[in-house]
This record gives sequence, structure tokens and C-alpha cells, in this order.
Amino acid sequence: MKALKLLLLPYLAVVIAAAFLWPEPAAGFIGESSRIVFFHVPCAWTSTLAFLVAAVYSAAYLWKRNPWYDDVAAAAVRLGLLFGVLTLVTGSLFANVMWGSWWNWDPRESSYLLLVFLYAAYLFLRAAVEDPDRRPRIAAAYALFAVVLMPFLTFVAPRITASLHPQTVINPQGKVLMDTPTRAVFFGALAGFSGLFAWMLSVDARAGRLRRIGQDILGS
Amino acid sequence: MPTTIAAENLSKAFSGAPLFSGLSFSASRGLVAVAGKNGSGKTTLLKILAGLARPTAGRVRVETDPSGSTSPSARRLAVGWAGPDLQLYGALTALENLAFFRRAAGRPARGEELVARLRDVGLAEGAVHRRVEEFSTGMKQRLRVAFAVLFDPAVLILDEPMVGLDVEGRETVDRVVAAARERGPVLLASNDERDFVRPDQRLDLSPAGARA
Amino acid sequence: MSALAAAWVVCAKDATEELRRKVAIVAVFFFAATAVTLVSFAMVGALALPPADRPPLEAALLWIILFFAAATGLPRAFVAEEEAGTGLALRKTIPAAVVLAGKTLFNFLLFLAMAVITIPGFLILLDWKAGSPAGVAATMLAGGYGLAVVSTFLSALVARAGQRNVLFVLIAFPLLLPLLQAAIAATIEATAGGFPATALRVLVAYDGAATCGAYMLASVAWED
Repeated sequence: MKALKLLLLPYLAVVIAAAFLWPEPAAGFIGESSRIVFFHVPCAWTSTLAFLVAAVYSAAYLWKRNPWYDDVAAAAVRLGLLFGVLTLVTGSLFANVMWGSWWNWDPRESSYLLLVFLYAAYLFLRAAVEDPDRRPRIAAAYALFAVVLMPFLTFVAPRITASLHPQTVINPQGKVLMDTPTRAVFFGALAGFSGLFAWMLSVDARAGRLRRIGQDILGS
Repeated sequence: MPTTIAAENLSKAFSGAPLFSGLSFSASRGLVAVAGKNGSGKTTLLKILAGLARPTAGRVRVETDPSGSTSPSARRLAVGWAGPDLQLYGALTALENLAFFRRAAGRPARGEELVARLRDVGLAEGAVHRRVEEFSTGMKQRLRVAFAVLFDPAVLILDEPMVGLDVEGRETVDRVVAAARERGPVLLASNDERDFVRPDQRLDLSPAGARA
Repeated sequence: MSALAAAWVVCAKDATEELRRKVAIVAVFFFAATAVTLVSFAMVGALALPPADRPPLEAALLWIILFFAAATGLPRAFVAEEEAGTGLALRKTIPAAVVLAGKTLFNFLLFLAMAVITIPGFLILLDWKAGSPAGVAATMLAGGYGLAVVSTFLSALVARAGQRNVLFVLIAFPLLLPLLQAAIAATIEATAGGFPATALRVLVAYDGAATCGAYMLASVAWED
């Protein structure tokens, strides 16, 4: 993890610089606005990744009853909320440039708004369960129930209605429709954000564990 | 078939503060007296043994046959429990309450048999068809005892069964305990030493831990 | 005795209690009646809209009312058990999945009873024309069942937490939105006269997923 942390800073600096300097702006977009794809999509990807991590660790907690797994799940949700909000903000900026309005109730937009609501609901539920022995189980039950219904949130809704949202990387043709510089920076950003998420997860989960142990000692 | 209830190294802590730790015992017949001051963990221990709470460490075994431990679903009905925070449905009559639990657990619920059970705990004919919300404290306590033995459990756990009972009520509970201890283990918790009639074993819960 | 029969026993017990106490029924009916009247009163101007423009508005209002009416009454499934202290007796005797199934069934019936008040209210006060009654009925059944399953499961989660009313709406909303979206789309199509096959497929799939999830997680949510 220490190696990752030291590598991340210069790596992300390079990626961010490259995002603005290397690839040409894409056709069909206003001005330089297509560059947002190097930030917006990795945020969206990280937010979804966070959800999957939270689900896996919630299941692991229910299986092994190891409190560390609950610490990781809760940290993943907190980060999921952060990256989810960033996804909405970057998407909103793009929408304003491209279509002149901050929000359009586009199905894909709306599904990420819903994801953010879901994260906030999970954290609220955790805060509302006073018994520290029951809290991890209740939180895990909610996370896993949400996983079961997730496909309806994020995949079905965007696909049954027409969308303003630009064609995604996962498209019907199944091919990546980008030139080499764009592809390089895009996947580079994806990897960088994933690394950033892994590092932040490690820090936040450990902080959560210390908080839990501290509360046990103080008896509060 | 003798039934054994055993605790192996049971510990319980609430938010880090330990209630009891390293508690082990085993019983297959007779009365186990569970004693201790208020707050020593008697109620929590009995709930753990009844499957209503989880220990922080250790485990509980209930064996109704020599081949191995009973599954959680079989244990549910093999261990009878009644405690001070057991409440039944106020809007239903005593008879409806018992019938509901029997049917929902997949057991037959013949009216005459259930009325007989209610009579066994000293609830008069008239009380049987009255809503539980109209019961006195003593009547509710008798109903709790009826609930505990509703499935003729192999193991009986009673937490403060004498609270609120008159002399006849106490005699009723003594009768139930006497009958049950011949068939299998009975764990009885009380603050009053007089409630323990010739105990075969004793569990003393002190604030620092437990001695069996 | 099968698990389904045992679930029916739980449902019957809840119904008996409810008919004697009338807590949830009164709350839900009163809410639904008030909401429909208020909406009709506020919508008087909108009745002048051309008939083709009204279905989306009516469908959305209908399901908003149904959602909030449900949020008033359906969480009582498990919350009432904890408030009355009867949760322990239930947990001691009956597997969580059976309790959940029984309460889901009861909540579904409660929802249908609510729909029986709300829909005639819409028909009369808002001059709503349900073009395809079969479509509307199918949507009520599929949408209502999904609402019941999710609400009952979440009721088990919040039963022993603080700030239950606010908490329930907050945690239910993100999970129920896809169901509400599909139900509204189905209602719009049914109002216009078509049978909403696509939206109903989504609803049924959602119902199936929610049922499996709730069944598998029942004991985690409800037991200790």
C-alpha cells in the first residue's frame, strides 16, 4: 500500500496533464468538453466499483463475522458516495456545456443520482442503529438487498428509455470507438482512479476500525 | 432420548464491556439454578442458551440425539423459554395466542388440548377467551409459562418465572419445573434463593465472570 | 405443514390484530383519502388539459399517493412487533423467512385495500379514464406486490433502529424508484388504452428479484 501511495501521486499528475494536452478533442462535442470523459467516467466507474466492494465485504462479514470486513464495507460506501457525487457534478458541468442545462432527468443521469441516494441511505441506516452488535448485520443486509435490485437501478431503466447520454464504451457494436491517445489516457485514468480508490479505501477502513476499537475501550 | 444442553467457553460483552466470560457447563437432566445479582447477565445468558441472542465468543450445543448437534430450526422448538420481556399478543385471546404459535410452527392446534394447557398453568375457563391485554400481571406470567412449555420442549429455560405470581401461581410453576426436570434439563434464573427447589447444579454469575 | 401455510397463519394473525386494533388500516385509508381529495382539488385547473396530455400526470400522482400511503402503514409489519414486545416470541418460535412471507402477504392485501379506495377516488374526482382496466389491474397487482415485499423487508431492518419513520422513507426510496418508474410507465400505457407488456415484464422481474433477496436475507435482517 505504501508503494501504491508513492506511485499514485506522480502517475495521476501525468494522467491529468495528458488529459488536457495529449488527445485531440473528440468530434461531435462542443469545444474541449469531451475531455471530461477522462474524469467523469473514472468517477462513475469508481463509484460502481465501490458499491461492488461494499457488497462483497458485506457478504464476507455475514459469513465470517469479522468486524474488519464491516469496516471495509462502510468505508467503501463512504467513498462510493464521494465518487458518486463527483460523477454527478462532472456530468452536470458537461450537460450545461453541451445542452445548456444542468440537469435533464436523463435515465443514465438519474440512475447515478439514485446510487448516491442509496449510499446516503446506507450511511443513515448505520447511524440510526444504536446497537453496535446489530449495526454491521443490518447494514450488510441492506447492502446485499440493494445489490439484488441494482440491475434495475442502473441497467434496465437507462435501456428502456431513449437517452441523451453519449454512447458509452460498452456499446452495442462492442468495439472501443476511440483513437490511440484518447484510449491511452482514458484507460490510464481508469487505472489511476482505481488505484486512488484502493488507497483511500485502505486509509478510511483503518480509520473506521480505530474508531470502533476506541469506542469499545471507552464503552460508549 | 436424553437431551443435553452445553455451553462451551461462553462470553458476552456489550460494546467492549464484558458481562461474563469463559462460561462452560453441561446438563442433561435436573434443575440448574442460575443465580447472580441484578446486572450480572442472567437474562442475557438464558437468551443466548435459548437461541435469542448471540454470544461474543464460545458456543451453545443442544443435542437431542447421540449422533450430533441439533440443527438451529429443531433447536428452536426443542428449547422452551420464558422471560420477563416476553410479551404475547394483547389483541388476541390466550387461546388464540397459543393456537397461533402452534399453527405457525407447523404443529397441530386442537382447541381442547390448548385449553387443557391453559388450565394446567391455572388460567380459568373464563380467562381462556379473554384478550391478553385485559390480563393481570399474574395471569400474563402464567401465560408466559404456558408459552414456554407449548411445544413440550426437551430443555426448559425460565427467567424469573415467579415474578407477579400469588401462592397458587408459584405452586403451579413448581409443578411445571418438577415435571420438566424429570425429562430433561431445566434452567431457572431468579434473584430469590427460595425459587430453587433442590437444584442439581448451580451457575453463579458474578460481575467479574461466572463460576459453575 | 408447508412454509406457505405457516406464512398464511402469520398473515391471518396480523389481519385479526389489525381488524381489532385498526391502527394501520385507519392511517393508510385516511392518508389515501386525504391525498386523493387534496390532489383532485389542486388539479381542478388541470382537468382542462387535453385528454392525451393527462395520463403521465395522473399516473405519477396515483403512484406518489400509493407510495406515501404505503410508507404510512406497511412498515408497521415488524415495527409493531418490536413496539409491542412480541418480537421475541415470534423469533423464538417461527423461522424469519416464514414471518417475512406472512407479513408480506398481509402488506400486499393492505395495499390492495388501499388501491380499492384510491382508484375509485381517481375515477370519480379526477375523471380518470382507465383505457385498459386489465392493464391497470395487472399493474396494481405487480406493482403492489413489489411494494409489499420491499417495504416488509425494510420494516424488519428499521424495527429496532431509531427515527424509524424518516429512516424508512429514506432507505425505501432508492430501492423502490425503479419499481415506481415501471409502474408509472405501465399505468400511463394502460390509461391510454394499451396493455403495458414491457413495463409489466420489468415489474415482474423486479418482484422476483426482490422476493429472492428478501427470502435469502430474512434471518440476517430479523434475527440476532
